[in-house]
Amino acid sequence: MRGSFTSLKRLLLASGLCLLGAAVLTYTVDPLQLFRPSPQAFYSDDTRVQNAGLIRSQSFDTAFMGTSLAIHFRQSDIDRALRVQSLKLAMTGSNSRQQAFVLDQAIGRGARRVIWAMDDFIFVDAADIEADPYLSVDLYRGTAKGIASYLFSAAMAKESLFSLLRSVPPLQQPLARAAPYLPVKFALDDVDDIYALPRDFDIVRDYNAGKTLAAFAYITSPVRSRFLGEGYGYDAMVRHFEQDAVGLITRHPDVTFDIYFPPYSILQFVAMRDASPQTLKIVTDLTAHVAQRLTQLPNVRLHDFRAIKSVTHDLNNYSDVIHHSPVIDAKVLGWLASGEYRVDPKRPTASLDELKAQIEAYRVRQP
Amino acid sequence: MLFNSYPFILLFLPAALAGYFWLGRRSNLTPVIWLALASLTFYAIGNWQFVALLLLSIAFNYGVGHLLIVAELVPSQRKTALILGVAGDLLVLGIFKYAGFATENVNALFGTHLAVHILLPVGISFYTFTQIAFLMDAYRGQVAAYALPHYALFVTYFPHLIAGPILHHKDMIPQFEWEESKRPHAHLILCGIIIFAIGLFKKTCLADGIQPLVALAFEARSPSFDQAWLGALAYTFQLYFDFSGYSDMAIGISLMFGIFLPVNFNSPYKATSIVEFWRRWHMTLSQFLRDYLYIPLGGNRRGRVLRYVNLMLTMLLGGLWHGAAWTFVAWGALHGAYLCVNHAFNALMPNVPPLLARPGRMIGAGLTFLAVVIAWVFFRAESVTWALRVLHAMADPTNIVFGREEIAALVQVAIYAALVWLAPNTQKIMGYDHASRRVGESLPAGRMRPLVLSAASLVLAFGILGIQSHSEFIYFRF
Repeated sequence: MRGSFTSLKRLLLASGLCLLGAAVLTYTVDPLQLFRPSPQAFYSDDTRVQNAGLIRSQSFDTAFMGTSLAIHFRQSDIDRALRVQSLKLAMTGSNSRQQAFVLDQAIGRGARRVIWAMDDFIFVDAADIEADPYLSVDLYRGTAKGIASYLFSAAMAKESLFSLLRSVPPLQQPLARAAPYLPVKFALDDVDDIYALPRDFDIVRDYNAGKTLAAFAYITSPVRSRFLGEGYGYDAMVRHFEQDAVGLITRHPDVTFDIYFPPYSILQFVAMRDASPQTLKIVTDLTAHVAQRLTQLPNVRLHDFRAIKSVTHDLNNYSDVIHHSPVIDAKVLGWLASGEYRVDPKRPTASLDELKAQIEAYRVRQP
Repeated sequence: MLFNSYPFILLFLPAALAGYFWLGRRSNLTPVIWLALASLTFYAIGNWQFVALLLLSIAFNYGVGHLLIVAELVPSQRKTALILGVAGDLLVLGIFKYAGFATENVNALFGTHLAVHILLPVGISFYTFTQIAFLMDAYRGQVAAYALPHYALFVTYFPHLIAGPILHHKDMIPQFEWEESKRPHAHLILCGIIIFAIGLFKKTCLADGIQPLVALAFEARSPSFDQAWLGALAYTFQLYFDFSGYSDMAIGISLMFGIFLPVNFNSPYKATSIVEFWRRWHMTLSQFLRDYLYIPLGGNRRGRVLRYVNLMLTMLLGGLWHGAAWTFVAWGALHGAYLCVNHAFNALMPNVPPLLARPGRMIGAGLTFLAVVIAWVFFRAESVTWALRVLHAMADPTNIVFGREEIAALVQVAIYAALVWLAPNTQKIMGYDHASRRVGESLPAGRMRPLVLSAASLVLAFGILGIQSHSEFIYFRF
């Protein structure tokens, strides 16, 4: 009996030591670069976590934000096109609350300019950021709870151990080569590669009219079309826009915001026109409000790329009804640099009116 | 409250243990009341709105049980009491679990727009089945009169309340009555902590670790061949580690209180036939379905055809027990069909030549695993259409992506497969024998003991480190 009690104490003590050991390992290796920047660091595609480390470890003057529409941009391309030192913080499937929170953190760390790919659907569902299970505000703020959850984490201990092994010279090369194919998160050795498509990526295979039309058929099918407008509500979306976007912009009058409406394929709006007209009305009314509000703010330059017919009507530019190819990414940067499609504050809905006319006139051609 | 949470591990469990053993020094009854109250508190945290329903269910079944056991009723009155009791249980289960499903089907059939919004009380399927078994045994005269605190604890006992194992009163109540279990037993606490640690590790590191891969098949609009297979296999392993992890934790926690719970998993993916799979997977549910559904329906006593009909019925209802959706009906139907084919094959080939026995077992294991994975697609999918889409992708090898993400997923799935097929299960490691109330005797003594303790402490530490955010067990929703 006494032996068992001794074993019990030893077991609990050893477990405690293991917990501390894991925390020390994570603190020393610091895969997120939360405590110190490291030239040997590796990066992860898990942007909601990775961004917390990037904001603290990278030098930047411009923050780039968006959803999956903006995820494939390369920082180096942004820097070259806009002559800035950018930090890409786009997060797939993110909502306005998450985007505003992360941008706020980036501004707090030195961003003087924000480039924001503003999708209408980010305002659909903006849950309380303090209780967001997908984005740890404590990690970004560096609170005791956030730091503890980072240090006392099996996933981070595993990543730290792998990073440690990868730093051993004989293992360096083989593990760096194998990392992208192993179940480890911090596998990218260049911050520029986070979510970027490889340079030799076969664009035609993944972005073509066939895929775009198939996606259109899928979302407009009678059994699924009700999902097109799921969660859309004009009042709630305006409220989220005011709180998240306008709130952030007005809190930082010294920061310049280049905000753009991404160039979705025309089929995105035609799908709504045909299968859910009330959703189309919400989207056009909302973006009219957004355009009117943003063009009145002195530190905002609003760009609207939605009515650029040569791009949005060429379905080969897309992999589905909204996601455009890296070729269009480059064009977006060019348009931002030239200001060619900047919305005139005197006629804030001019491009929207043009888009509405295009939507009405468009007829879907089957492949 | 979740087993895989800091408040449970650092506050609730130590407090429940301390109170139980402190009261155990004074009386044999107060620890039982303490544990029942602790169990209700455990249930109320996060599910307070369903506590009244749970208490009503206990009172109702205890009352009907009392009529069957103590009151001197004539046979027809006894039968009426049983029918009322079981019908009452099924009615409550039906309202809370199946009303929405029934309404959906009525709407689909008749074009109506009826709406029913009823929240599913956590654990209702488990505590209803537990009590139906009690009533049926009481009717059969196989139950002694139990004191209310013991009965209440039997139903609410927090290690099993939400997701099983499905307990049997004859197994549990005598243990609650046993005075010896109220004194702290260091060996049982040590073994309990190790078993809990293994379960926690299974849940937080293994099940939660592979969960993101499931999206490859079940959240993609049109998964490729490799993505569909990887997603389906990932779910196969996630479900196993999630549920068997929960069962291990339940067994471990209970052992700390000196109570032995039945084993619920016995390396099910090592089964060489579907019949064997159901003897290894969710064993307490299989036993319940056999004893209280399949056998009362007639079992195999009324000829081969009726046996297959009974099997199909049992599995269909077993499927529906898991959830009110056609996907679960399809899953149950598939397993019913598998079992019929398995029994038919056994009837046709009663004796396999010794030379073919080993390769036959290997082929059997492969086919069984394949059949189980296919059935899990229905179990996991949002709808039958979605499941068919995933299965269609699994049958179309012309569409393969096999990019960086898929290769990484394949490596992870291979590691999990090796664990499932090559590693011993928890009861083997710990020498846990529920029937003879033995545990840990096989743990090496002497020089190996520190090594075993070190390994256990690592597993416990990583299990705790794996706790990240609110991660419910899959079986909570059943």
